[in-house]
Amino acid sequence: MPRYSRRRFLKVAAAAGIAVACAPAAQTTASPSGAAPSGAAPSQAKGLVGTITVSYPDELGVKPKYVDQAAQAVQSKNSGATVKVDLQKISDDLYYPKLLLALQSGGDVPDVFHFGGDSIGELADAGYIEPLDTYVNAWEDWKFYPDSIKKGATYKGKVWAIPYGMDTRWLYFRRDDLQKAGLASDWSPSKLDDVIAAASAVKSKVSSVIPYALYAGAAASDGARDHAFVPLVWAYGGDVITSDGKWVGNSPAIRKALAYYQKVYGQGLSPKEILTSTKPWTAMRAKLGDGSLALLFEGGWVYGGWASKDKAGTEKNVGYLLHPTENGGPSFTIGGLGTCWYITARSKNKELAWEFIKTWNNKDTVAKINIEDPHPVARSDSADVPEFKAQQYLVDSTKSLEKAKFVPPDPNLSKITTAIQKATGRVANGDSAPDDAAKQYSADLKQAIGADKVVEQ
Amino acid sequence: MARNSTYLVGVTPAALLLALFFVGPALWALYSSLTNLALVGIDAANPRFVGLDNYTRLFADPDFWTVIRNSVVFVVGSAVIGQFILGLALALLIDHAEHRGWWLGALAYGAVLLAWVNPALIAGFLWVAMYDFFFGSLNHVFLSSLGFGPVDWIGSFPMPAVILANIWRGTAFTMIIFLGALKTIPPDIYEAARIDGANAWRRFWDHTLPSLRPIAALALLSITMSTFGTFIVIQALTNGGPGIATEVIALYAFHAAFKSFSIGYGSAIAVVMLALNFAFAVVYLNWSRARA
Repeated sequence: MPRYSRRRFLKVAAAAGIAVACAPAAQTTASPSGAAPSGAAPSQAKGLVGTITVSYPDELGVKPKYVDQAAQAVQSKNSGATVKVDLQKISDDLYYPKLLLALQSGGDVPDVFHFGGDSIGELADAGYIEPLDTYVNAWEDWKFYPDSIKKGATYKGKVWAIPYGMDTRWLYFRRDDLQKAGLASDWSPSKLDDVIAAASAVKSKVSSVIPYALYAGAAASDGARDHAFVPLVWAYGGDVITSDGKWVGNSPAIRKALAYYQKVYGQGLSPKEILTSTKPWTAMRAKLGDGSLALLFEGGWVYGGWASKDKAGTEKNVGYLLHPTENGGPSFTIGGLGTCWYITARSKNKELAWEFIKTWNNKDTVAKINIEDPHPVARSDSADVPEFKAQQYLVDSTKSLEKAKFVPPDPNLSKITTAIQKATGRVANGDSAPDDAAKQYSADLKQAIGADKVVEQ
Repeated sequence: MARNSTYLVGVTPAALLLALFFVGPALWALYSSLTNLALVGIDAANPRFVGLDNYTRLFADPDFWTVIRNSVVFVVGSAVIGQFILGLALALLIDHAEHRGWWLGALAYGAVLLAWVNPALIAGFLWVAMYDFFFGSLNHVFLSSLGFGPVDWIGSFPMPAVILANIWRGTAFTMIIFLGALKTIPPDIYEAARIDGANAWRRFWDHTLPSLRPIAALALLSITMSTFGTFIVIQALTNGGPGIATEVIALYAFHAAFKSFSIGYGSAIAVVMLALNFAFAVVYLNWSRARA
């Protein structure tokens, strides 16, 4: 039975391939069946044939095993297929320009890549990515994706990316620190200013603890946008973009949001070091985890890092709430598509690329990876997996999406983020008063994306 | 004629390499600065010729003038004052130590050289490891052992912090150049001066300094240009922050091209940088020729 023994050989080779792919210094790893003898003529191969490269950045180390499993599954199902895995152990911030240069230069590009869903607009407009409508329409499992998520992955009427773990954010607070500051351990703000009041109480009564971290400036990267500025503008009843896709420059809500920055930084409630530290979120997350920071609005996924170190302590001391508004308590959060899988427009083997994405996004993988790296699941059936349901935090996170607002995938998002970083940095550093910074923000936006795409309110 | 063609053969490979790696990219930057080429969005797919729009936008950008001012402070502080004067002083001291046969000279030479062989990024991270407010050794080892609270080194003194780091990394270059130049000064000049009763200061002022002048102009030119174009140490330390307090022109170009993904605008900044460098070169070379 030569065929049977060949399959067995493939299994062994696959296991060896995974071991190589999981090795610490894994670069582009030729896949298992890539190492198989070339005896199999194309006519004998079953399923899809050819080679694809799957490229993804990963610093945490959670994704590789799932990527390798999917690569192996695709290869076992399609004996003439090779999936090369290109793991880049760098941050998204470094991965993205590198990927864009490859996509622009006309050289070799990966067939499948993995990046944040908020880039859909700018990638689609550049012609870098392939619309996935034909594929998802023929995919049985697409029905498990709620409409809101499908809408999030849609730009100009087409679906461009497949999400698996959604982003949500929480206002985290340390019960132990707030108690020491004379506040209730089940503290809950009745309005946005209560956050400042709580931070002031911590500052005056618990001197060893940093009261609050409010991200600002370029060093805070996307955190200045998603974890601070945009939710603050929403909290003051405004928006950053109008329903017809124009960005809001100077508006009452934007001035109030920047005035909030002035209060927080002016009273020394948030450390100015956020403006200059390298990846300040690393320090802030660690500090909330060990209790030396009391208040932080951050990604839902951050909870996983604390819980994996000290589950009981985290559950006891870390509270999480929705974002309060100017006159109301916890009311909303900012959602996101999370990281997604894309197919490049220049891929020469889109069928196989889709096969990989489809295989990766199965019910179990979507549940498991989101348990390990906590995010609400993009597939509704994955939320029914018992291990997922057993985690209260994940259930709460998934529920929080009902209250989530989203920033649309605008093609100018990178430029807008730069303007947000400048505006928040100016106020936090004391260089500009809020009203002046709002005017400058408006001018920066106009300069970056064109005056016709900016409105003032 | 035959001599000319020999020169031509000798110069051609270097000229070709320069054309390929310098003139080519510079021309490309000039061309793309006249377009709205981007790495993302519709301008990535269909870049358009926009004439001088990028330049108009740049000169109307209030941040640009802050960036120019930062660049001048950074270049004067770290190259002209720091690396140049410190490099000269170190070269004189080491040269003196060598004449006296002191082993400390070799040690100092090695130490300065060690800082230089570090890639800029590593040098940047070394200083992050010292300055960082939350984890840095200056706060957590030095100040805390003396019983002081932590200081926000980078936040409170952003420009001095990056200047100091860049001086530390770059001084070796000028030191080596000056050490070499010192060795070319014939010792009998000093002998004669000594016999004439000149003291150490006079010998330095009347003989050493004039002999070093042509080399000094070259060294100043090289370090000014390389400091003007450098941003890696700053990127690792402050990434231009807080606000734009340490944003220098090269970093500004990098951010425009690879953070906002506006290649056209980033190229316009790079072209302005090239023009400024060219102006420096003309001034320095004139200065060295006039005085040499």
